[in-house]
Amino acid sequence: MAGPAPTPLNSPTPLTGDQYRQMVVSGTQYVEQHVDEINALNVFPVPDGDTGINMLLTLRSANESNELPPAGTGTVAQVSAALSRGALLGARGNSGVIFSQFMKGIAESLVGAETCHGANIVAALTCAAAAGYQAVGTPVEGTMLTVMRGAAEGAASLDAASPRTNALVLATALDAASAALSNTPEQLPILKEAGVVDAGGQGVVAFLAGALAYVTGEHVPLEITTPAGGNASASVNQEFLEHTEEDMYGFCTQFVVFGERLDVDSVREQVGAMAGSTVVIGDDRTVRVHAHAENPGPLLSLGVSLGSVDQISIQNMDMQHQQFMALHGYTRDEQTALAVVAVAPGNGLTKLFHDQGAAQVVGGGQTMNPSSAQLLDAVKRANAVHTFLLPNNPNIILAANQASELADCSVTVIPSLNIPQGISALLAFNPSLNAEANANSMKAALDDVRSGEVTTAMRSTTLNGVAIVEGQAIAMLDGALMAATTTPNEALIAMLDGANLEDGALVTLYFGNGEGASNLARIAAEAAGMIETRFTGVDVEVHEGGQPHYTYLVSIE
Amino acid sequence: MAVKIVTDSTSDLPEDLARELGVTVVPLSVFFGEEAYKDGVEITREQFFERLTSGGIHPHTSQPSVEDFVAVYKDLTSQGHEVVSVHVSDKMSGTMNSARLARAELQDAKIELVDTGLAALGLGMVVKFTAEAANAGQSFDKVVAAAHEASANTNCFFVPATLEFLQKGGRIGKAGAVIGGLLSIKPILTVHNGEVHPYTKVRTESKAIAKMLEIATDGGPYAEVAIIHEGQSEAAAVLMDHLASLSDKPVVQGKIGAVVGVHTGPGAIGMVLRKG
Repeated sequence: MAGPAPTPLNSPTPLTGDQYRQMVVSGTQYVEQHVDEINALNVFPVPDGDTGINMLLTLRSANESNELPPAGTGTVAQVSAALSRGALLGARGNSGVIFSQFMKGIAESLVGAETCHGANIVAALTCAAAAGYQAVGTPVEGTMLTVMRGAAEGAASLDAASPRTNALVLATALDAASAALSNTPEQLPILKEAGVVDAGGQGVVAFLAGALAYVTGEHVPLEITTPAGGNASASVNQEFLEHTEEDMYGFCTQFVVFGERLDVDSVREQVGAMAGSTVVIGDDRTVRVHAHAENPGPLLSLGVSLGSVDQISIQNMDMQHQQFMALHGYTRDEQTALAVVAVAPGNGLTKLFHDQGAAQVVGGGQTMNPSSAQLLDAVKRANAVHTFLLPNNPNIILAANQASELADCSVTVIPSLNIPQGISALLAFNPSLNAEANANSMKAALDDVRSGEVTTAMRSTTLNGVAIVEGQAIAMLDGALMAATTTPNEALIAMLDGANLEDGALVTLYFGNGEGASNLARIAAEAAGMIETRFTGVDVEVHEGGQPHYTYLVSIE
Repeated sequence: MAVKIVTDSTSDLPEDLARELGVTVVPLSVFFGEEAYKDGVEITREQFFERLTSGGIHPHTSQPSVEDFVAVYKDLTSQGHEVVSVHVSDKMSGTMNSARLARAELQDAKIELVDTGLAALGLGMVVKFTAEAANAGQSFDKVVAAAHEASANTNCFFVPATLEFLQKGGRIGKAGAVIGGLLSIKPILTVHNGEVHPYTKVRTESKAIAKMLEIATDGGPYAEVAIIHEGQSEAAAVLMDHLASLSDKPVVQGKIGAVVGVHTGPGAIGMVLRKG
C-alpha cells in the first residue's frame, strides 16, 4: 500500500497516470487513518454497518484492481477506469456502493485523458456527484451525496480564466465539502438528534484531504468530532479484520504492539513493504497490525522490535480457503433453473437458510457488509439461470443491486431488510414456478413478518424520546427504538408489549453468539417462558442464530 | 347400456356422494406391518387415523391388485356397460398400473383409463364431474374427454395439520423438501405435474389460511369448488364462506382419507378448485 513518497506537485504541472493513482492511494490512506472515527459517526447506538470500513474496503479494492496498468505506466484514463472497475467489484455497504459510483462518474469524465489538470478534476467531481445521485433511487440530502455535490460545486466556482492547479481545485473542493458536511445535521434531523455529521460525507472529506495531501506534499489536518461516548479508540473491530480475508493465500497475521512513541505511519509503511492486505492503525502507544504474508515470521520480528507484542493470531488461509471451498459446494456443476442466494450472519442462521433451500449463503449482515464481488461470486456458485438475492439488510441492498447488474445470469434482488423478512421470502420461494411468479410472491412475503432486535447500547444518547445509557439492553421493532432496560429479556418483553401481538401469533427468537451460546440459550429459553405466560395464544420458538452483537433477532408473524 | 365410472379410494369421495353418482370405488390397501386392510372396506378412516396417531407401526399403502380391477371391470362390462376408469396420479401410486394390466386381460371390453395427475378430493372432483357427464347420457368419447378436461382444470391445495407424518418417512412427491429444517413451518402443498409439491410455506395457520384465500381469489371464479376439512374449526368456516362466494354450485365437503392421510395425518385443511 505504501508507495514512494508523494511528489510535491504544487504547480500547474498535470498529474501522470501513475501520480493520479498515488493520489487515490493517499486518499485511501486518509480514510484508513480515520476509519474508526468515521465508524463512530453512528446515528443509532447499535453495532451497525460500519461506514468507514465499507468505504475503506471499497477504495482498497479499487487500488488493487487487477485491471490497473503496471506501476509507473498508463494514462489517467486507463488508471481511473481500472480504479472504477475495482471499486465496483469491491463495493460494500451503501456508502461503498455510492463511493464506487463516484469513481465510475470520475472515470467516465476522464475517458481519453492522458494526464490530469485541475480542470479535469473540476469536471470529474461534477460527474462523480451526478453519478452518485443517479445511483440512488431516492437521493436524500444531508448524506455523502450532498457532500460530494458540495465539493463539485466548490471546485466549479473557481474562475476558469485563472490558473486552476490541481492543488487549488482540490483545496477548494475540500473546503466546500467540509462546509457541506458541517451542514448535514441541519438537513437530516436524525443526525442532529444523535449529535453527529454524516459518516459517509466524512469519508468523502477524508478522501479529498488525502488527495490534496498528495498533490501538495503536505499533511492536511482533519478533525473529526465523534459523539460523546463513541468508541473511536485505536482498536479495530474484528469484523474489519475478517473482512479483509479476501486474497486467500499465505498466513493471516494479526497482533497488537504496545510501546511508547510508536510511529504508526512508519509501521504501516514497513508492514506494507512486507505483506499484503495490510491494516495498521493505532496511536503512539498501541498499534494494531493485520496483514497477509507468505511468512509471518518477519512481521512478528518487526513487532517485537517495536515494543511488547500481544494478541497474536496466525491463521493458514490456504487451509481456510480449501475448507471454505469444500463447505460452500464449489463442486456444483449442474445448472438449475432457479436459486436463492442469501446474506446471513452466524452459523445458526446460515444453517437455517440452507435448510430452507438457499443454494448459497454469504456470511455478513449488520456489521459485516459483503462486497458486490462476494455476492456476485455466490450467484455464480449457485449456478442457476435465474437467481434471487436476499440481502437481509438495508445496507447491503445497493451492493446486491450492483451484483445483479454485473452478473452474467439474470438476478432479482428481493429487498429484504432483515433476517425475518429474508426467511419469509425464502419460504415463499417455489422452484416449480417461474421467475416472475417467484419474484412477486417473495416480495409480497416481505410484508408478512415484523422484525425486532435486542442488542446492547454502544453509547448514551436519546432516541425517539427514550434516554439510553451505554451498556443498557435496547430493543427495536421494525427499526424504531422501543425500550432501553437493564436486561435483554426485559427489553424484549417491553418491545413485544408495544407490538400488539395477535392471538395465534408466532414469535421466533434467534439468539446470538455473545457471552457464550449456551448461556444465551438458557436466557432465551427463559424469555420464551416469559412470553408464553404474558401473551396468551402466542407461540414462541427459539433457535440459535449465532449472529454477533445482537442478543436476539426476533420475527413476529 | 351406459357409461360407468370407476375410481380408486384415494379419491376421498364421501361415500353417499359416490353412491349417488353411481361410481364404483376400488380400494387400495393399508398395511400396518403385516396386517392388511382394504381402505374404507375393512378399515374406516376414523379407525385408520386412530391407529395412525396412536403411535406404533407407521403404516404404508399399496395399490389395488390386478384381480380387484378385473373383477370390477368384468362385473360392469358383462352387464353391457362401457367403463371410464379415473385414477390417482401415475407418479404417486401404482394404481394405474394395476388398472392397465386388468384392462389388458379384458381385450374385448370397452374400458378407458384416465390418469388425472391428482389425488385426494382433487381426484374426487374430477370423478364427480365425469360421472355427471356419464349420468347425463353423454357418449363414451365425451365422458372420456370430460375426465381429461376436468383433470387439466382442477387444482388442489392443502395444509397438513402437522408435519409429523411427512417426517416419518412418508414423503410424497417433492413435498419432502419442506420437512428438513429446524423452523416449524406450515407448508401449503399442491399437486403439480402429478406430484405433490410445496406451493409456498408460511409459519402460522392464520397466514396459511390467508394465503389459501388469496390463491382462491386470484384464480376465481370457478365452475365448482370443494373444501377438505375435519371438525368445526374457525379456519374451515372462513375458508368455506370464501369458497362459497367463488362458485355458483354448492361447496362439496370432504376429508383427507387414509391413503393420503398416511403422509399428511388427519386434520388437513384444503381446497379443490375446478375451472369451467
